[in-house]
Order: sequence, then C-alpha cells, then structure tokens
Amino acid sequence: MAANSVTQELVLKLEHVAVGYSRRVILPDVNLHLRRGSFTGLLGANGSGKSTLLKTILGILPPLQGCIALVPVEGRAPVLGYMPQRDSLDPIYPLSSFEIVLMAACGRVGPGRIVNKTERDFARHCLAETGAADLSPKMFAQLSGGQKQRVLMARALATKPDFLLLDEPTAGIDAQATHAVMEVLKQIHQQHRLTVLLVSHDLATVRQYAEDVIWLHEGRLLHGAVGELLTRDKIEELLSLQLH
Amino acid sequence: MDTLREILSPNFLLRNSIYISLLVGLVCPLVGVYLTLRRLIFMGVALPQISSCGVAFAFSLQAWGIIPHLHEREHGLAFIGSTLFTLPTILVLALMARRGGGSVEGRLGTVYVLAGAWSILLLVTNPLGEHGLLDMLKGEIIAISNGDLMWTAGSFGAVVLTLFLFRKEFLLVSFDREMAITLQKNVVFWDALLFLLIGLAISMAVLSVGPLVAFGFLLIPPLTAHLFARNMRQFALLASGIGGATALVGFCLAYRWDYPVGPTDVALLGVVYFLSFAVKKFWGFCSQATGRG
Repeated sequence: MAANSVTQELVLKLEHVAVGYSRRVILPDVNLHLRRGSFTGLLGANGSGKSTLLKTILGILPPLQGCIALVPVEGRAPVLGYMPQRDSLDPIYPLSSFEIVLMAACGRVGPGRIVNKTERDFARHCLAETGAADLSPKMFAQLSGGQKQRVLMARALATKPDFLLLDEPTAGIDAQATHAVMEVLKQIHQQHRLTVLLVSHDLATVRQYAEDVIWLHEGRLLHGAVGELLTRDKIEELLSLQLH
Repeated sequence: MDTLREILSPNFLLRNSIYISLLVGLVCPLVGVYLTLRRLIFMGVALPQISSCGVAFAFSLQAWGIIPHLHEREHGLAFIGSTLFTLPTILVLALMARRGGGSVEGRLGTVYVLAGAWSILLLVTNPLGEHGLLDMLKGEIIAISNGDLMWTAGSFGAVVLTLFLFRKEFLLVSFDREMAITLQKNVVFWDALLFLLIGLAISMAVLSVGPLVAFGFLLIPPLTAHLFARNMRQFALLASGIGGATALVGFCLAYRWDYPVGPTDVALLGVVYFLSFAVKKFWGFCSQATGRG
C-alpha cells in the first residue's frame, strides 16, 4: 500500500450523526473523520448499520441528526463514486455493460446533451482498467457475480471520483473472483490515490487490503488502524468469544 | 396489397384514422418501455381506465349544466378531463409505490375497478353517452378531424422528443436511483417529468383508440421486444417498430374484413407476442443443442 499517498487532510467529517431509517435509529451518535487517500474497511455484523451509514454518507438517506461534511476538493464538492450491491439492480433492464458504465457520464454531461466520443472512450478505458473490456457488449444481467462487480467498479471509476464508496463488493462471489476484484480495487486506489471506503462483512479481506477499519458493533463505532483493531485480542474482546 | 395501397392513398376516406392508429402504435410502446422496466405494468391497465373516467366526468359536467356545451371542441374537453384525472393519479400511485408498504397490485386493482365502475355510472346518467361519448370510450377511430389529428400528433411528438432528449436521465433514475442521487440528480423532478409524459401519452391514446387498445400498445410491444433486445436502443426501437407495424397491419385486416380496428390490433399484438415467444424458445433450444453437439 502506498502509505505516502495518505495525507492528514480530511475528506469526510461526521459529527454527532444519528443514522437510521424513518424513526428507527441504528447508530445514535457517529463521530468519524476520514483522511484523504485512505483505504478504510467498514466492518460489522448483518444489521449493524454498515450499508445504512454508507448511504447516509452518500446522501441517499438523510441523517436523523448531526452534521455530515464532505471537504471540498480544489474548491468544488468532491465527486462520489458509488458501487452498490449488485443485487440491488433490477435484471429486467436490457442493458449492456457498456451502457451501465456510460451512466457515470451523467454526472458531467448535462440534461439533453449527447454523451460524446471522449466520454465513450473513457467508459471503455474504465472497463479495461477493471479487466472488463471484453464484457462491454454483453448484457449486464447475464454476467456472473464477479464480472458484474468489475463492471460496477468500472462505472464507479467512470464518475472520476475523489472518494470511492463500495457496498459489499465481494458478497456472494467465490474466493478467486473476490481476490480479482480486490486486486483491481487495490490497484485503482494506488494509481489514482483515491479515498476508499469499503463496506464488508469479510474480516479477512478488510485485514488484507485496508489500512484503517471502522467496526460497527451494537450501535457503537470503533475506528482505528487495521493493525490495532483487527488483532486477535481485540476481536475476541469485541465479539466476546474465544478464537481457536 | 390492394387493401394496403387503398389505405395508404391520400384520398382514402379514413386516412386520419390510420394516421392516428400508427401514432398510437409507434408512441405507446415507447412509454410502455418505462412501465415495463419499472415493473409498473398494472399501472398501464389502471391509468387508461382512469383516463376514460376523466373523459366521462368532463362530459357529465356538460350534461349537468355545470359547463356550457362545446360542440366543436369536445375533443379538447375530453383531453382536459382525461389529463386532469390521469396525471394526479399517476403521480400519487408512483409516490406510493416508491414509499413501499401495502400492496401495489391491490391499489392498482382498486383504482382500475373503481374507475371502470364510475365511467359506466357517469355514462348512463349522461344523455350524451348514447351518442358520441360511448364511441370515444370504445375507441372508435372512424371520424378523426384534421384538428384532432394535428393535436394528437403534436402531443405525441412532444412526448417522444422529451423522452429522447432526456433518455439518459430517465434511464439513470429508473435503473439506479441511488447512483442518480450521488451524481446530484434531482430524482423527484425526473420521476415527475417521466410520469407526466406517461400520463400525457396515455390520455391522448385513450382519447384516440380507447382504454383497451391503449393498454394493448403500452404493454405487448415492449414485452415482445424484451425477448430479443440486447440494449436499451434496441429495446425502444423494436418495441416502437412492433407497435407501428401491428397498427398498420391490424388496420388493413380490420378494413379488409370489416372488423373493429381496436380489438383487431390487440388480437394481432397477441399473435405477434406468442409467435415471438415461440421463436425465442426455439432459438434457445437450438443454441443449447449446438453447444452440446
């Protein structure tokens, strides 16, 4: 990991933020600072509020209280690259992988304007960067889990993001595909010096690839370096069990 | 061929009727594409019925003396009634579907049956119903004036142009609403505009061909095109092409054998769908057999 790419400059600040749906509070008091260029894993059990926190940061869900600040980049609001869970996308849409990636251009090309050749070439470039160039004409709905993740990662990359947020990118795919997807992500993080926030329930993946970790446990949030938080003793303490 | 030549002749007495049929056949499937993709097909059943109810209500206002008789502008009155009923309904139903909770099918079924019942009640209490109104609701497209044709063509043209211009925005908010929000898109605005276009197209189609035929063209061509489409462009063009071709052939058959045009069109759409389905299955079977071989 290119440690020198991580700066002390902040990209995200959450102060006393309550996170949840409607009136149901899942995380009552979140205080969190993320550094620009960091690679952070967001861990927690099912229902702990990982995806809810991610969607609140993205602006998809409003915070129930508190303040979320995305620090401007070069005087403009940072661009968020979002990779949703692949099962959240309806397979009824007859979309090619290329069309999926091209959607990212909507952030730059205004309503009523045609997506030009430069944008199309960039979409192809992003597909190539995630190793999905050959998937371009294929229907997204007919791809395997790992292939879909590559295409969705290409789409997130095609937004030209300052901050990449991924929701369970390795859920439901085999070990080989998980390794391939994570290696692509690692490469993108290093090459583009992107800030990455990765939601996962896979402790081993987060331990291998992330620098920092946020652990959600029973409504509490623990934030620290992987080497500090993901030690055997700390995990035992958090989960209140003995690991053998 | 003789029938087709006669129908396409500029001196053909019912030329405005064939033009209206073609417009509905070409445009309704483009709107139906979004109803299909957003899994709102039942809305395609309920909305034409609501539109009919709006037409019946507008004419009832005339019969009850609440508004004056507009002999030369009945089409405009019907359009206003249809649109005033359709647009709020589509927006409320879409909002409720987006919020979740309850049964979407139940709501749409209730709207459908209530709108149907009220349309009939308004018709039987309206002396005008015995004359032109019933024909309008049945979708009799025999007497279409040049003014009505231009008005319909203009409205459909505006719908198609808007759908084309903002296709990437409509697709994004339909397919991945969350990503649209992260890209700072005003998803409520784009949803509202899309539903407004759907409502407008349905209102015009119901006035032109009646609720049954409008629903047929909204639903069946997109379902048929979905069997073969590999991307969005193919999907939209195929659906519209199937709708337009069926409208033309259906009109020819109805004229040749003196059948009612609307039911002939829908029956033909059904034949096209089942043939396409069979071809698709056969194609898949052959591909599998070739793969195994």
